[in-house]
Amino acid sequence: MEPRTEMTREDLQSGFKPEIILLYCRRCVEEEADLFIAAKATSRFAAKLVMMPCTSKVEESHLLKLLAEGADGVQVVGCPYQQCQRLLGNLQAERRIEHARGYLREIGLGAERLGMERGLHFSGLQLLLLAEKRAHAVRPLGPNPMKGERIP
Amino acid sequence: MIIAEWKPLSELTAKLRGHKKILLVGCATCVAECAAGGEKEVETLAPLLRMALHKEGHPAEVVTRTLERQCEWEFVEELAPLIPQVDAVLSIACGIGIQAVAERYSEVPVYPGVNTTALAIREEPGLWLARCQACGDCGLGETFGICPVARCAKSLQNGPCGGTRKDGKCEVDENLECVWYQIVKRAEARGQLDKLLEFRPAKNWSNSLHGGPKRVLREDLRP
Repeated sequence: MEPRTEMTREDLQSGFKPEIILLYCRRCVEEEADLFIAAKATSRFAAKLVMMPCTSKVEESHLLKLLAEGADGVQVVGCPYQQCQRLLGNLQAERRIEHARGYLREIGLGAERLGMERGLHFSGLQLLLLAEKRAHAVRPLGPNPMKGERIP
Repeated sequence: MIIAEWKPLSELTAKLRGHKKILLVGCATCVAECAAGGEKEVETLAPLLRMALHKEGHPAEVVTRTLERQCEWEFVEELAPLIPQVDAVLSIACGIGIQAVAERYSEVPVYPGVNTTALAIREEPGLWLARCQACGDCGLGETFGICPVARCAKSLQNGPCGGTRKDGKCEVDENLECVWYQIVKRAEARGQLDKLLEFRPAKNWSNSLHGGPKRVLREDLRP
């Protein structure tokens, strides 16, 4: 299934095209994955794919900085439970993400801007679908207010 | 170590509203160990503050710095070049570090970002328990290395109260061991139960918080 490229009436009205940063563990993708696929811009959302050595390296500060710099959503993609090369690394990453989501809720920015998905052997297209999933979750929240932050 | 916890973000933003450039300072010692005020926490809190202040309509730039020890003047001095560039400081060190920065840089408002909680040990990952209250008259030698001042809900000095549960837990908190039960068990294991019956002079509480600000003076170390 390819990411939908057509815009709904609602999208057209709002003109909102979520920018999603997708951080993925290098072990989650198939060897031949076409990771340049994100460059194929869709009209509904924009995605930037960033490879990590392991999701265990994801810190809350990394995720929050991406949002503070204006990303509309951040999707982390890690290995399935009990299949992390760092044993519990992906589980701890999930806890940190949940913790950071609590802060986003607390400041009213929306916990849905941050999420995690799991799996193995993802193709480039499948990663893009996971980015679209986050874009879909983010859409009701509207654009990140940090976009174009100006300090008077 | 000294442990601390972040204040609620709403309390922090209420203090920081109106400041345009904020210096967020951490400390790489105790509060780093308890995951409240080290470099990692500084770098986590900075974007959060930026987003929260922006959301409230008071955008501000947040610059960060983590000192090796915020309770030592030599390290506090490192902030000197930054202070003229900011209009507020938020410190997430313990109360000692916050006061050191506020004293050295009295020209800018210095706000606390944490509540300093206790002198504690990391019992297990993510769980810290108080072990000392700095009472100023240590009696650990008489209580088999377990402190009833810090670890008994009533700071009892002469044995357990009547509220110890049957499983050896405290009546105040079912997750907490009755510290006197622990002391008796340890004395028993060493075959020194009779030591607990020895006369002990009354504890000198004047060295504790009740006796006013404490000071330690060592003439041999003075300049």
